[in-house]
Amino acid sequence: MPVVQTRQLTRTYNPDTIPVHAVRQADLCIEEGEFTSIVGPSGSGKTTLLNLIGGLDRPTSGSVHINGTDITGMSDSKLIDFRLWHIGFVFQHYNLIPVFSARENVAFIMLLQNRDKDEIARRTDELLDEVGLEKRKDTRPAQLSGGEQQRVAVARALACEPKIILADEPTANLDTTAAMNLLDIMTRMNREKKVTFLFSTHDQRVIDRARRVVRMLDGAIVEDSCHEG
Amino acid sequence: MTIYLKLAWRNIWRNRRRTLITVSAIMFAVVFAIFGQSLNRGSHEIMIDNMTRFNTGYLQLQDRRFNNEPSLDNSFAYDAQLESRINRAHPQIELMLPRIETFMLAADEEATRGAMVKGIEPEKEQLFNNLEQRLVNGRFFTSAQQEAVIGQGLAERLRLGVGGTLALIGQGRFGMSASGLFTVVGIVDHPLREMNDRIVYLSLATAQELLAAEGYITNLLLVPERPRDTDRIAVALRHEFTAADLQVLTWPELMPELLDLLRFDMAGSYLMSAILYVVIGFGFFGTVLTMTLERLKEFGILLSVGMQRLRLAIVVFLETLWISLLGVGCGLAAAWLVLLYFHFNPIELTGNMAQTVIDMGWEPILPVSFAPELFYTQGIIVFILAMLVFIYPLVKIARLNVLAAARS
Repeated sequence: MPVVQTRQLTRTYNPDTIPVHAVRQADLCIEEGEFTSIVGPSGSGKTTLLNLIGGLDRPTSGSVHINGTDITGMSDSKLIDFRLWHIGFVFQHYNLIPVFSARENVAFIMLLQNRDKDEIARRTDELLDEVGLEKRKDTRPAQLSGGEQQRVAVARALACEPKIILADEPTANLDTTAAMNLLDIMTRMNREKKVTFLFSTHDQRVIDRARRVVRMLDGAIVEDSCHEG
Repeated sequence: MTIYLKLAWRNIWRNRRRTLITVSAIMFAVVFAIFGQSLNRGSHEIMIDNMTRFNTGYLQLQDRRFNNEPSLDNSFAYDAQLESRINRAHPQIELMLPRIETFMLAADEEATRGAMVKGIEPEKEQLFNNLEQRLVNGRFFTSAQQEAVIGQGLAERLRLGVGGTLALIGQGRFGMSASGLFTVVGIVDHPLREMNDRIVYLSLATAQELLAAEGYITNLLLVPERPRDTDRIAVALRHEFTAADLQVLTWPELMPELLDLLRFDMAGSYLMSAILYVVIGFGFFGTVLTMTLERLKEFGILLSVGMQRLRLAIVVFLETLWISLLGVGCGLAAAWLVLLYFHFNPIELTGNMAQTVIDMGWEPILPVSFAPELFYTQGIIVFILAMLVFIYPLVKIARLNVLAAARS
């Protein structure tokens, strides 16, 4: 069963006045363990596609299935719950909770899931160790570098044990070292733990790592290619 | 819940200065509101205390018709059986003070004045209101003596001193003619000015004999062990005396005019507090408004990663609650200290105001009240304020477009 399947997915803004077709009849199938980049110039619809897949936006027509579940018609509340249990997000601007330490940011997601306290503590430590932040666990985001913050964001995204992690321009604000470091972590997670990653990016460093590249132009998928990454 | 409390607590300190200003504003509002109301209430408590001690008592048993038609014809028999019924209905009654009251003409050789004649048991009254201490001249009588103690005002008007003879003329029970001569053995400075100008105390037995009402009284004052139990005792007694011709009245029912006066007097204080809270409420709202608007993106992110709107609303509500609690907590503590200071160092009245108060038999000071409701009422008001202020972030969270917020 594919982790993500979109069928004729369309998102049109202002359909009654001056329609803007952000995504047009996109058919996309992502299997478990894929490391895929959606690329394209600004305004090509890659972020909108990612938002539709993540249930942050609602399609004008078409459907999105995550792990076999159609999320298109879900209520707002069910969709929020679905995201909590099935989708991890990594944002361009990290978007951590500023008043929480790295540890608390990661643990917070599992607290929302009402998991056992011991399990939360153990898994939080594991995740932060995996992203190389074993010595910065109790540091707040403001005291972390951009790269470190993004690694916390990755750990947070992994905390809910999602089917897929959606990363919107995750390296856009990072210098080369931090970006490569982050990509190394993500690649390792993908290879070792079979975590599925879907990026929206125009960063060549990410594109080079991806094993599959989906190219968009004017809201439509114009190319879908696999390579070594 | 702990994590939400922690998150809310830390969130309010993201802008330390703003939170401190808001907390201070609430604190000062609470202090001013309590202090203002406490001064008013303090005077009222003295007034009520005087009125109950020297006039009505906290609780009275009367003939059902007496309150509307205060006549000796509406008196009732007072005996040991009645006492035991009262004790059975509610055991926490410390004292029972039988009184017989009526209006008569008081005269000496030259002048006549209207007088309120009260037949009392002086030993019991002494335990309740310490009336003997208000003697300015002479002594008090005992139950058995046919002597009178009169108010200082009446004594001056009749030009009577200790040892003088007072004539009382009037009507006794069922229209019987009532008159008698009594030796004035004491003059009291009654704390209620109106009473001071017309009061004549006789022993109960003497007054009953004068008024042809042996064994009868017009009022039975009941003194509860704890005045705050008055209403509870009244309910128990009403249950006991449902079918009888007797009725139980509490002091607010006996002095509705006083209660109205006090309420009217408190209205000014409440109005000032209301204005204060409206001003503070807008300040509080400003803080919450800013806290909400500057964190819309964060709200969007939290919804994105799976936090339900209700949980987010709870966090924001806890933030408003934390601010309120801090403001109220500091305010109550500060108000307590302020009241404590003014309790030991009361504001002294001067000039005409002081003289007026002295004439009424009170100390010329502004007393403060420590009534518990003064304190918890402010907590309730600030909580309501927090609820009102919370409406804005609640609506904002309910309507928040996740994508638009996350992009903002």
